[in-house]
Amino acid sequence: MKIKRRAIRADVPSMAMGDIAFNLLIFFVILAQAQDDSHLQWTPAEARNIESAGHSVVSVLIDTDEKLYLNGQPVGESGLEMKIEELLGDLSVGERIVLLKVHRDATALRFEPVIEAISSAGGELVHIVEEDRDE
Amino acid sequence: MKIRRRSSNLLIEPPSSATGDIAFNLIIFFLVCASVQPDSGRHQTLPRSEETEEKQEKDKNIEVVVKRQVTLVNGDVVPATQFAARLTALLAGKPRPEDKVVVVKSDDDVPYHFWMTVTSQIEDAGGIITLQIEEEREIQVP
Repeated sequence: MKIKRRAIRADVPSMAMGDIAFNLLIFFVILAQAQDDSHLQWTPAEARNIESAGHSVVSVLIDTDEKLYLNGQPVGESGLEMKIEELLGDLSVGERIVLLKVHRDATALRFEPVIEAISSAGGELVHIVEEDRDE
Repeated sequence: MKIRRRSSNLLIEPPSSATGDIAFNLIIFFLVCASVQPDSGRHQTLPRSEETEEKQEKDKNIEVVVKRQVTLVNGDVVPATQFAARLTALLAGKPRPEDKVVVVKSDDDVPYHFWMTVTSQIEDAGGIITLQIEEEREIQVP
């Protein structure tokens, strides 16, 4: 007597896919937040004739409390120039863009030394502002 | 005659084969959202800071003093409405780039939005901004 072999379907188990993808989502979101400064509080100033800032590896931010951050991490004013130089490394002209995000009410006492540090580090300064639509 | 409705005892599960695709699309959505930040602004070219003073050159350059609410051009108070026109007129007779240097000196309490407005107008008028920062700001006497 012949015994028929039962055909077994070999499917990829799809039950765990949702969990895997969800964990990936959490991983990427946390990774992205650790490096950017989207969680910091600041209000941009307004200016006319603004253009796209382009890709940048360095972002300096002065928040509403006039605290200074480099790529989302708190930093002191004294070491800022050296750290920007390190981050910019050997990047060529046109790629040495440094985004400067300053809270609109921050005072010159705070932001001018930062501008000077960026300039001294060889950064190409881009003030992140909003388009002025009043005039 | 009564017809009995057939009751289904089957367990109804949501189709799990699509959850992977849904979650993947969620990843893409959040990553795209995270990368779209308001990164538009104004490029500003500043010469590297130098500690040595060139007195003769400075005397030739236009000097703009930014105070909390007013600006002074070469020592004269200029209303905000006339500032751009005044600078354009001053820079008009200076074809060489080295003559277009505008020395900007700000008071400590000048807010960034006002400073940005003034420096934007200088650049739009064709000026090249140089910041003059005083070194003796943080001296503390015990």
